[in-house]
Amino acid sequence: MEFISWGVAAPAIGAAFLASLVEVVEAFTIVLAVGTLRSWRPAALGTLAALGTLALLIILLGPLLDRFPLNVLQLVIGILLLLFGMGWLRKAIMRAAGIIPLHDEDAIFAAETAQLRAEGAARKRSSLDWIGGLTAFKAVLLEGLEVVFIVIAVGAGRGLLWPAALGALAACIVVLCVGVIVHKPLARVPENTLKFGVGVMLSAFGVFWTGEGLGIEWPGQDFALLVFVALFLGVGLTTASYLRQPREVTQ
Amino acid sequence: MSIVRDVAKELLGMFLADARLTTTILILVAVVAALAVGLRVNPILCGGLLLAGSLQIVVAAVLREARRLRGSR
Repeated sequence: MEFISWGVAAPAIGAAFLASLVEVVEAFTIVLAVGTLRSWRPAALGTLAALGTLALLIILLGPLLDRFPLNVLQLVIGILLLLFGMGWLRKAIMRAAGIIPLHDEDAIFAAETAQLRAEGAARKRSSLDWIGGLTAFKAVLLEGLEVVFIVIAVGAGRGLLWPAALGALAACIVVLCVGVIVHKPLARVPENTLKFGVGVMLSAFGVFWTGEGLGIEWPGQDFALLVFVALFLGVGLTTASYLRQPREVTQ
Repeated sequence: MSIVRDVAKELLGMFLADARLTTTILILVAVVAALAVGLRVNPILCGGLLLAGSLQIVVAAVLREARRLRGSR
């Protein structure tokens, strides 16, 4: 069995867990809105159908990953991670600096509930159940797509698909358990802090894989990843702190 | 069809949320690839350029967006 370095395995598992936590919390809020306002049947059916669709997607597309040479896979995934991770990081820095509002699960829950109510006023119960199921399906499918991408992106470059998938599964179990207990939107999850951390990790992975894909041998090999994480984190926090400082108004 | 459209929108949004950020990242990778693979420049220099360029791009994207949003208020 091939030795997996913790230097690269821990960030991969951590990134998959934290990113999945954020996405699952977002999906959970909408499923909860459907279940609370209508009934749990359409919420559960929509969720199961979406999970089935995601599983089918993985079964169909997963084997294709083995057909590409490793350096091509690393380069493509590295570039996609740079695009995805730096997009997340940019938004998280702006949220941390107070330039754009923080993600608010309570507000999303209220908006989703209001929309379902408004649709319910105009339709019969059976069609509303259908709409509720579809709403849950879309939420789980769209957030799940991001989870699938993150698991593939942080895991495929070094044969860490299973550890990354376990990280994502652990996040699903945690959200589900906490959600069942508290039975309301998980608004106290520090979502922006998590997104900041995930943006940092995905950007660091992006630089690492893109470099490896281009034949760059990083000094310190896998441990270079930890240095990249520290640099992205430092630069992100410094930028957020700089933007938080009050500005003089000039005419 | 709405679901297919939403899925396509989500996938595009994942990677192309900010067109300028996307373009600059792709240009940076293309330059590093040309130096590393085409001109066979020292790989460590190419790696350093990729890392420094990525950090610079994210800071520039945040500052640009912050100026734009503050200017529109």
